[in-house]
This record gives sequence, structure tokens and C-alpha cells, in this order.
Amino acid sequence: MSLDLDKVFPQVGDMVAGLKSDAAQRQQRLKFALDTLHNQADNLSHLARKINSSKTTWLIAGLVDGFDRQIKAPPAPSEFTILAADGSHIDVDRHRSPRCYLINIGSVVLQYGGSPDATLDSFPHLYSSDEELVITPNGDKIREQVVEGTLLGIKRGVDECCQLAELATELPEDSPGLALVDGTLVLWGLEAYPEFVTEALLDKGFLSHLSRIKGLNSNGREIALASYISFPRSTEVVNALRLALCPHDVLDTDLHCRDCQERKCEMVAGIRDRDLFSELLGQGERSCLFTSRSKIVDKKYPEEHRIYFFYLRVDDETARVEIPKWVATDEDLLNLTHSLILDQCQRGQGYPVALSEAHEQAVVTGADRENFWRLVESLLVDEHLPSLSSAKSRSKRTRWV
Amino acid sequence: MSETQRVGEVIEASSTDFTAQCYELYDSPSLGSLVKTRDADVELYGVVYQAATTSLEPGRRPIARGKDEASEEAVYQSNPQLLKLLKSEFGTLVVGHRQGDKLNHYLPPQPARIHGFVYLCSPEEVREFSLSFAFLNILVNAHLPISTEELTSATLRQMSQVHQDRRSFLVAAGKELALLIGGNLNQLKAILGRIQT
Repeated sequence: MSLDLDKVFPQVGDMVAGLKSDAAQRQQRLKFALDTLHNQADNLSHLARKINSSKTTWLIAGLVDGFDRQIKAPPAPSEFTILAADGSHIDVDRHRSPRCYLINIGSVVLQYGGSPDATLDSFPHLYSSDEELVITPNGDKIREQVVEGTLLGIKRGVDECCQLAELATELPEDSPGLALVDGTLVLWGLEAYPEFVTEALLDKGFLSHLSRIKGLNSNGREIALASYISFPRSTEVVNALRLALCPHDVLDTDLHCRDCQERKCEMVAGIRDRDLFSELLGQGERSCLFTSRSKIVDKKYPEEHRIYFFYLRVDDETARVEIPKWVATDEDLLNLTHSLILDQCQRGQGYPVALSEAHEQAVVTGADRENFWRLVESLLVDEHLPSLSSAKSRSKRTRWV
Repeated sequence: MSETQRVGEVIEASSTDFTAQCYELYDSPSLGSLVKTRDADVELYGVVYQAATTSLEPGRRPIARGKDEASEEAVYQSNPQLLKLLKSEFGTLVVGHRQGDKLNHYLPPQPARIHGFVYLCSPEEVREFSLSFAFLNILVNAHLPISTEELTSATLRQMSQVHQDRRSFLVAAGKELALLIGGNLNQLKAILGRIQT
């Protein structure tokens, strides 16, 4: 039975009416947030101290080089190369045997300038051996973690970064380059897993690939690395405003917030960073730099790879760009990142063209999934091996009345 | 240019026609060209009846990109991925085959093989093939997106270029057509009008 839209219709109407009635109040909050941003910019050291000494349950951006600056994009070099990787996967299906998963990494190399060229490719990899299906701490099979769901998503991100590092090593030395991934460089999801999982995927995986790319920056060669988040939902900078509005000099949310009557911080509630910077920034401008103060970065990322971010205004969208510290603190790499991401967005109807093409290379559709499982089953049948599937899975595939 | 130039690869085939994808964008043979491909010991001859350049993926249509560019070339310079996202294909009507030493102007026993290489026929091959007009029967009876008149006349114009006495070749072809489609004067007139030298 398909979704009964007649029943949904009045609910959508209520939702839209609610949004309409909130619009004026929201605009007022946004204006207040913007005023607060400008006011706080004059006394940053006080706010920075407050951020560092407070204990909050919400994530607050770390301050680096300002608060409300608007930085224009430097001109892009005449010759440059963009690398991008994106991934897609077929998760382990618990309703089928055999157990396996597939990661498809799409990669793109776009060369601009005198000799423009493009390489578009995809690299599907099937994982089915015992060692690939679980992460095990030094032979301790009892504590092993199964690679599926969230963990598979994280592994896919690591594989994307690995592909970028491979591509980066083949870049011509005389042309500056930018390596791009979609999404965040902060592997938040790992916070929920034991230490040995972090070691396997972060230390030996993600961070080692970042180091490989960083290591290519020598003898005048320039390769920056960044991740691009379209329509970001983060509120880290707005949370810094909330803290600035809080009357407590050193805030402990567990202690102070429950009995707080004043609730001045509510004045910026519901505002996201992208709303704030959409108002502040002009076309092509970026915000100043901020740092991610998330737990995983604080505890697990080495100093050189700590994650910085800025917001970038491209047409109607304000995107979030994340970069490791070695890019953020190198003026040339930072400028390269700003100008080339903007250039990519302009060539790609508002979204970096390299990421868009990498996605097209990586995407695994519903039909692809069906074909994949059909292939697995037919090869099992050819070899007279049992091809088992759950009764639930069969009932979904063979529908009856 | 080599005598037999490889121009593409078969990606779809039936008993009556095959479609080939070009190796280079926009590099399809001209309308009416004689091309060939091979299936085991049989060489299949076909006439190009259609060429198209489209997006590699059916769901992604090209969009206009040149508003701020100075030239068409600049569109491709600024978007190097375009050459990898488009494909040129050409459709070919099978008009004969060679089995051993024997050249036949009728359909082969098997269709072309997928991934079979497609070559542009050399002038000598075109001359040899067009010594007989038996293939015209297939052309005038074909049901294709292109009109019979356009395809037949384009094929004869192409073939006439390899004959020393172009006019005699076309006159002979016209006489053969009069026998084949004499009952349809409008069609005959349309073809003859398109092959006049």
C-alpha cells in the first residue's frame, strides 16, 4: 500500500502554518544574534577565556582569528588540479547469507588551465573474509566489533580519504592541488566505540592518510585538503554566542542551567551557524577560522591534524568547510582552499563539481543492490552452495494478497 | 588516416542493425558511410543511418554552460569532465556480409558481436561492395528513424566518391532504383533529386 497523501495533506498544512507564524520571531532572533556577534568581536579574549573555562553539554566553536570578519576570496591560480573522492556502500544484510559488504569509492581528478583533463573512476571492493567483517583487539575475539551500520559508514569515510591520498601522490609537482571530500573530517561516530576501533580506523586509517597528503607538501609543492558540508546544521558558533550571553562567568550547564530564570541564551535559540553567516557574508566571502572542540578531536587527533573550519557563502548557500590545522595555519594552503572551493562551486551550479562527479561515480542505486545480490546468489547456485535468506526477506521480495 | 580506420565498438546488435559507440567524442562516420565488423569468420557490412551525441547516463541531461564563455572551445576547457560524461554513438543498418571469399548483399546468419570493433571501409572495399546494387533492396525497405530517401541518397553519394566515373555509378544506381521502387514515383524522385551531380 502506498503512502496515503490525503491523510498527510492537513498535517503538512499545519507544519507550513507553524513555520509562517515563527518567521517574524526567527528574523528578530537572527538580528539579535548578528548584533551579538559584532559586539563580542570587540572583546574576544574575554569570550575565548569563557569558552575555555566553561563546561557545556553543547559543542562550542573555538576562536582563532576573530569572530565576525568577512574575508574575500583570493584569485584562483591559472593552473590547478582538484581531487575528490566519495563513497557508497552495500551494507551487510542480516537477512541473507553469505555475510559481506561492498564499498564503492568514486574518484575524480580534474585538471584546469592550459591542458585541461579529467579522470573519472570508481573502485568497488567486496569485503567478505573474517578479518574484514570484524575489528578485533589483538586476538581477543570476545570483544570484536562487527563492521556494519555506523561503523561501516566510518570505514567508508576512511577509504575515501585513502583514495584521495593515492590520487594526491600522482599529482604533477608544478601544479597546486586541492583534495576534497564530502561531509566532515571529524569522525564523531567513533566516540561510541572502544579504543581499539578508534586505533584501527582513526590512527592507522584516517589520520595516516591525512599525514600522507600533508607529507606531499614539500619543495614548493602545494596540496591542500578540505571537506565540504552543504547546508550544514551545526550550531557551534551560535553556541559561542549563547555562552557570551550567559550571565555566568564560568558556565557549567549541569549546575547552572536547570535553575536559571533569566535564560538570555534563548534569545538566539533555533538559529544555526549557516543562518548567521548567510546574513553576514557576501558572495564568495568566507568567515574567519574556528576550531572544532569536539571530544574525539580533543582526545584523539594529533596537533597537526586538529580540525578547523570556516563558513563560505556561495550564491544562496552558506557551506561549512573543514580543514586540518596544517592547512589552516599555512596562508597559501588556506587561500588555495578558499579560492578553489569557490571556483568549484561556481563551475558546479553551487556545489563543487568534483564532489558532484565523484558522487556520480560512487553511487549505488537500489537496482544496483538488487543486481549485486542476484549476482552473489547466481554464483552460489553455480557452485552448489546454499543461498539462504530469511523468511522475512523472501516475503518482502515475493508479495501476495 | 589508415586504410581501415577503427571508429567504434558494437554495444547493441540485432540481425538487421547494430549500434556502435565511438572511441572519440563526435568522431562518428558520416551518414551513409560503409562500415564493417566481424563475428568469427563472417565480416558484416553496414551503412551508417544515424549518429547521436548524448549524456553517458540517461538521467543526466547536458545543460547550457557557455553564457559567460567567449567560445565553444572554452566551455570544454572550463569543464574538462564534459568529454568523459558524453558519448557519441552511431546506428548501422546491416546491408551485407562476407563469408570466406564470397561477398553477399543480404543479411548474415548471425548479428554482430557486442564489443566487436567497427571499422570504416577502405575505398577499395566500398568500390568492391558497390559493384552490385543488390543492397539497395535492404535500404529502400528499411524501417528506421531516418527516411528511406535520405539514407539511400546519402549512401549512394558516399559510395560514388570512390568510383572514377561518379556520374555513371549514380546513373546505374538510379536505374536499379527505378526497377525497385518504380511504383512509388514520389520516393524515386526524392532519391534521384538528392543524388544529382
